[in-house]
Amino acid sequence: MSAGGQLGDPPPTPVDIKAELRRAVGALHDLQPSKVQSMTSDLSIDEELILHSVGWEPIELVCGVSLYSVPMGVWNWGQGEITSASAAYARAFEGAIDRIHRECAKAGGHGVVGVQVDRSIHRHHIDVTLLGTAVRPVGARRVDAAHVFVSDLSARDFTLLHVSGWQPLGLAVGAGFVYAPRRSIGLAMQQKSQNVELTNFTEAMYSARESAMERMQSSAITMGGTGVVEVKVTEGPMDFARHAVGFAAWGTAVRLVAEDHRSLKPTMVVPLDDPMSGFEATALRGN
Amino acid sequence: MTDTAPDLPEAANRRFASQAFTSGLTVPDFAACLQMGLEPVGYVQGFCVMQWGWYGLNSPYRRGISPYGGGQGGYMESWQCPHGFVSNEHRSWGQNYEQSWIEDAWGQGFGTAYSRMLEEAAAVGAHGVVGVVDTADRLGDLGVLEFHLRGTAVKVTDAPAPPGGQPWTTYLAGQRLAKLIEAGYMPVSVAAAVSSVRVWAYCMTEYLLGGTSSAWGMQPAGAEITQVASAQMAARQIAREHVRAQMAGDSLHGAEMVVSEHELSEGDQEIQCLLRGNRVRRFKDFDPMPVPHPTVRLS
Amino acid sequence: MSDDPQGLPEATSHRLEELEHGLFTSDLSVNEFLLIKEVGFHPLGFVMGSSIYHTGIQTRKWGQSQELTKLTEAMYNARELAMTRMEEEAAQLGADGVVGVRLDVNYYEWGKDAAEFIAVGTAVKAESGVSHRNKLGKPFTSDLSGQDFWTLMQTGYIPQGLVMGTCVYHIAHRGLGQTLGSAGQNIELPNFTQALYEARELAMTRMQDEADRLGASGIVGVRLEEKSHQWGSHTIEFLSLGTAVVKTSDDVTLPTPITIVSLDN
Repeated sequence: MSAGGQLGDPPPTPVDIKAELRRAVGALHDLQPSKVQSMTSDLSIDEELILHSVGWEPIELVCGVSLYSVPMGVWNWGQGEITSASAAYARAFEGAIDRIHRECAKAGGHGVVGVQVDRSIHRHHIDVTLLGTAVRPVGARRVDAAHVFVSDLSARDFTLLHVSGWQPLGLAVGAGFVYAPRRSIGLAMQQKSQNVELTNFTEAMYSARESAMERMQSSAITMGGTGVVEVKVTEGPMDFARHAVGFAAWGTAVRLVAEDHRSLKPTMVVPLDDPMSGFEATALRGN
Repeated sequence: MTDTAPDLPEAANRRFASQAFTSGLTVPDFAACLQMGLEPVGYVQGFCVMQWGWYGLNSPYRRGISPYGGGQGGYMESWQCPHGFVSNEHRSWGQNYEQSWIEDAWGQGFGTAYSRMLEEAAAVGAHGVVGVVDTADRLGDLGVLEFHLRGTAVKVTDAPAPPGGQPWTTYLAGQRLAKLIEAGYMPVSVAAAVSSVRVWAYCMTEYLLGGTSSAWGMQPAGAEITQVASAQMAARQIAREHVRAQMAGDSLHGAEMVVSEHELSEGDQEIQCLLRGNRVRRFKDFDPMPVPHPTVRLS
Repeated sequence: MSDDPQGLPEATSHRLEELEHGLFTSDLSVNEFLLIKEVGFHPLGFVMGSSIYHTGIQTRKWGQSQELTKLTEAMYNARELAMTRMEEEAAQLGADGVVGVRLDVNYYEWGKDAAEFIAVGTAVKAESGVSHRNKLGKPFTSDLSGQDFWTLMQTGYIPQGLVMGTCVYHIAHRGLGQTLGSAGQNIELPNFTQALYEARELAMTRMQDEADRLGASGIVGVRLEEKSHQWGSHTIEFLSLGTAVVKTSDDVTLPTPITIVSLDN
């Protein structure tokens, strides 16, 4: 936590933005591109400023992609967990995370923030794409790929956690795929006109959810995390396999690194802006 | 302002001759630009309509025409069938390669539209163009792609006429632009490039993607589909390299990456990656601001 | 542009009468309402105008790119009529202007080739009693939201009118020879570039002409819209819209923003 101010510092004296603009425009023609390392970042200027306020900087846009095959036939009727699908899901994430780690370390980053997690589950393969911004404390040395973190938290969330004394460790991921149990024809007929809980279905959902959450938790614990924030969950049947249920969860594993959690002490505000209102351009667009 | 630029349509010259400015900025962006000493002078645009097909002469789309050596770009990788079959139906070879003719055509379309926009900006005596929007849309069923760039040309209040060089351009406007300059970055230009990677699937890729046990008696177990993963990584890598080549030591700010896939048959596909952003140059050292004050909204 | 929309329907007159007696209606949000009060304006009422227009047919040449002037005129006149009727309602309320104007086009089952053009907004009046009507003596119109209206007033500009220009253009089909001749290459088609360029410039210039008639210093929030309506993919309407503004003061009185980080989601 080198440069940068502390929370609640008095606001800086306003910059004469007109003068700054003149200086910037003048410099454009005199100044040669700097010799310092050029960076690539998909952060907004707000995110970059807030990251800089705690002494971190973006350096490069990095990604990781992996596709892992699901052996044929695994979605057919069966019982219990569809282990090869659950395994393929885990492998695809491992592959993508491993690649983004390597890209990050190669670019000189200490971690990746704002990771966009795209996953798609097909009958025969599971694809995972991760895209984020490699960041590091300003001017810091390289670290090994094994020591970088990957987080789907935004640069803003990363900064707020950092200020409060927390550190992201990595993506905690878990998924479970199970077969929805088959009801015997006799049982189905019997239940047709009744209001009853379909206990075996309930159990299937439970078991998928439990194994996914359990896997996510244990991956967080392996990383040394004491919590997982912003957990996202998806569940439901897949359109290519209606008698199977998939449940997936992922989030960022975090750990308290300061001695104590530091309070942010927010101010309350009353905003006067609405979410975008006014002219709706799309109303004029064709079909 | 009164000189008519030769290549502009008559209507454009009439528009620029008017005393009133046109600005494509939203009101908050307009206000922020005035506040920082940028006056809008005109809404400027540039076009280029390109004939567009994925299967150029250099891009054979029938399997069997393109064996090894088909790539022209820098990236190429090949895969060999591990089974030892010889059959017309068995895809015994696989290849990924960069399709530089598509990348170049895209660059030509974007670049032409861009320089036409700059021509308009120069015609109204602008220092820069802010709030640039670019699109590359297919027009109906014409098999063409229209590159359209537009933005608001601005003058720096009370500044001398722009020097001979090109106006600077940026996707940003308003407060975001003000903050960028406050942070010590000056926009140089918008930057964009695409990469195009063609994937010719070999037997293993085909089986793994399609789950086909095939007539060859193989039951593919779970495995990573390395050929496609490799192409996906390469497409993103090449796009970043293309843009970096335009940077000449400057930085790319506010980048956006868009990836699209065109599937041609099982496993055979084109992966296209578009990367765009603002090329910016540091003109003063960064003076980090204090951590902003956290707020909670009371409504 | 033609008709004097004399004789608004009776229910309309009745509704407007009630509004004249001090009641106001508005589709503004509370935030917008308060911001409009902040710059010294008071909402008078929700006003609207509508016109159902039959947009005739014009023959198109298969292989030629050209403007379809008849359709251009129809699209322009229909919107202009709806706008004028809305202005008329506002004028009857004694308004200085209309904010938050929205323009829309509806197609109905019962009317092939007929479309309803609608304009709605909130009429406002300055509390100081100083007239803010535009050069033509009509209430100004603008598609600005309450927030945008407030912000614009801080920059020393005031709105004069929602201005628009339109151009309906037919884009040529490509002959077989053309297609084959250049097969296999991604190259520029300069004729198409030029045609589309011209179509959009025509729309923009017509918008600019409207602004010039209002004596505006500029147009803010310019947008270019493209729409095929029901004419098929080769006939496109290019519509450009913006708010003409006039400069009344050199002072930009925007307060310096304060940097905050919101903990809200």
